[in-house]
Amino acid sequence: MRDKAKLKMKVNGKTHSVEVEPDASLLEVLRDQLNLRGTKKGCEEGECGACTVLIDGLPVVSCLTPALKCQGLSVETVEGMEDGKKLHPLQEAFLETGAVQCGYCTSGMLMSSRHLLEKNTNPTAEEIKIGLSGNLCRCTGYVQIIEAVLSAVKKIKESEK
Amino acid sequence: MMPFDHVNAGSPGEAVDLLTSYGGKGRLIAGGTDVLGILKDRILPDYPDVLINLKTIPGMDSIKESGEGLNIGALAKLADIASSPEIKAEYPALSLAAESVASPEIRTMATIGGNLCQDVRCWYYRYPHHMGGRMLCFRKGVGPCYAVKGDNRYHAVMGGKKCFAVCPSDTAIALCALQAKISIFGGEGTRTLPLEKFFTPMGNVLRSNELVKEILIPKPTQETRQAFIKFTERKPVDFAVASIACVLEILGGRCMDARIYLGGVAPMPWHAEAAERIIKGGSLDDPTAEEAALASVAGAKPLKGNAYKIEIVKALVKRALLRRQ
Repeated sequence: MRDKAKLKMKVNGKTHSVEVEPDASLLEVLRDQLNLRGTKKGCEEGECGACTVLIDGLPVVSCLTPALKCQGLSVETVEGMEDGKKLHPLQEAFLETGAVQCGYCTSGMLMSSRHLLEKNTNPTAEEIKIGLSGNLCRCTGYVQIIEAVLSAVKKIKESEK
Repeated sequence: MMPFDHVNAGSPGEAVDLLTSYGGKGRLIAGGTDVLGILKDRILPDYPDVLINLKTIPGMDSIKESGEGLNIGALAKLADIASSPEIKAEYPALSLAAESVASPEIRTMATIGGNLCQDVRCWYYRYPHHMGGRMLCFRKGVGPCYAVKGDNRYHAVMGGKKCFAVCPSDTAIALCALQAKISIFGGEGTRTLPLEKFFTPMGNVLRSNELVKEILIPKPTQETRQAFIKFTERKPVDFAVASIACVLEILGGRCMDARIYLGGVAPMPWHAEAAERIIKGGSLDDPTAEEAALASVAGAKPLKGNAYKIEIVKALVKRALLRRQ
């Protein structure tokens, strides 16, 4: 057997030191070792986006990211989106517009949407479609998801007034 | 997935030393979006003991513009290339090609070096081992090309001989049209060659102890017009059914020079020289573009299920040549 390796990374602001298999994906370490099961395992080939997380603020598919590539980096998952007990405006908007059906794609959608809004505070529907093009949803037909992101933009603007 | 070890390289030299010391059982990983798919599905009989991580090599992801042109480190991410204002302004064909790849998540991870070195997407070649056994085909050194008699709708219509998988790289055709050079680092030092010479029908010229270090693109002239168009079944995410990159020098309404490359139709970036000859020296009007489009597919040998690609290529060539920008 190969030796386990020490991995130190920040997850949602908190530093974690874990011993990981050298071939473990970030997705496996998040779910199975850190018990952060909000990040979903979908296709495991980088096509569906269910496992999207942010590394140093940028979206990646955690299924194709060897965990050891995250040495010293900062990872954000859906669990880190809420502020205390208050949901992130994107999470609220997803609930209100019915953008969550089976929920399997939701955390990936949220992480991609969050990155999109950090780059572009006022996206058009077309820009949202492009921003979420790496996230598949088989339930909603995407209409409610795009509405949710547009609604979150409004919420964020109002809260900044 | 089978187990493997993961080691970080601190310099190109160290990566090459690691490749040598693992003697064929080490495999390079940069963004990982292609190689991990290959390992997860265990499509190849050979499986590495160790992945050698290149992303820990400092400075190899830089994008530097100088008076002479653009130097892009092999580890530069496709997202950074697509969003670079300098590349958008001076090298739009490359910018559009990088932007057209996969999804935002993949572009954040994937590198330009990896995009050029990625393996083919042929569904026989990529058939997962855990679903009844991998398919041993000509490309793997044993067996026939299953695409010849099978479902070949996405396979080569030109240049295919024993293997009909197409080169899937979008940036390759843009970089070839921009006359890019590729700098390769290995045990015997650095060698630089025109990117077009990098590709072979079965992959590329990289030796077992070499890696891609840098891409060098000469600065286009003021008279240069560039286009990149990719036809996919869905707008984002997909690989090209067919694509075109062209770089034209237009002076006083006449096309003085032209470089046209086609993607998704051949085992390598396909240099449409016959089409270039037709448009060189004349004005680019509708009949000339039509003639060039026909010439671009002259000699094509479609398989049973992919003749439709020829019609798409003709339309792409015409569109790219007549595009005013």
